[in-house]
Amino acid sequence: MIPWDKLHGAMTHFPIALLLFSTACDFVSFTFKKLPFARGLRLVSFYGLAVAALASLGAVVSGIALTKGDLWGRGDLGWHHRFVWPAFGLLVGLAVWRLVVRDAMSRTGLCLYLILMLVASGFVAAAGYFGGEILLSGGGVP
Amino acid sequence: MMTPLEIKGALAAIVTSVVILVATFTAGGIYRDHYGREMEAGNKPLAAEDLAAKGRSFFLQSCAQCHGRDADGGEEAPSLLKLQISGAHITLVIQSGIKGEMPTFSKKYNAQDTAAIVAYLKTLH
Repeated sequence: MIPWDKLHGAMTHFPIALLLFSTACDFVSFTFKKLPFARGLRLVSFYGLAVAALASLGAVVSGIALTKGDLWGRGDLGWHHRFVWPAFGLLVGLAVWRLVVRDAMSRTGLCLYLILMLVASGFVAAAGYFGGEILLSGGGVP
Repeated sequence: MMTPLEIKGALAAIVTSVVILVATFTAGGIYRDHYGREMEAGNKPLAAEDLAAKGRSFFLQSCAQCHGRDADGGEEAPSLLKLQISGAHITLVIQSGIKGEMPTFSKKYNAQDTAAIVAYLKTLH
């Protein structure tokens, strides 16, 4: 029997950490865009985002197996899923957009991208918080 | 203004996101139905009352010590009457435990035994 709980716990940390790190790199490179390391940081954020999107597939598959296909649920599991699905959609969408556009971003495109990266990071952080609550508090067991 | 390349990228991003979310929800639904049917087939010899009775015996054996014989809670464990979470979620808690509060029972009870406990807890609504 595959230990989906352990696999899910291990796999979820990659997209969470990589997305947050990628967002941080983007903001630092945007803030210090004239400094020599800004271009390098943009490259790091691009690969971080791409790997986060790939790793999120593993996290989602193991999560579905863990909950036996219960994609919503109640209590903390319900809240976890309310944040996970928009985060997953945004993460994949942002990675695809970045893959197509690369560094050829207009000012409007970059601003929109940074805002959406912040939103995706917020969703991922909230999903991670409620995922932790399921483990630590029993997920709303009264 | 966004460039044509950015607009093309945005369209690709939206289409990919929608496709992947639809695929995820479809696959999840198929898995949930398949798992439900498998559980039903596995439990066929047992009527719902028998399953709950089996679950009660497991409950008394492993859970009653903390949650109380009537599942109405103990000094250190909450009441399990009128649980507001799904069967899958109850299964998850039984199998994984709660760090620092409740042990994991995945080695003691397999999927069918856990389903019996869940069936018993569902009768307490």
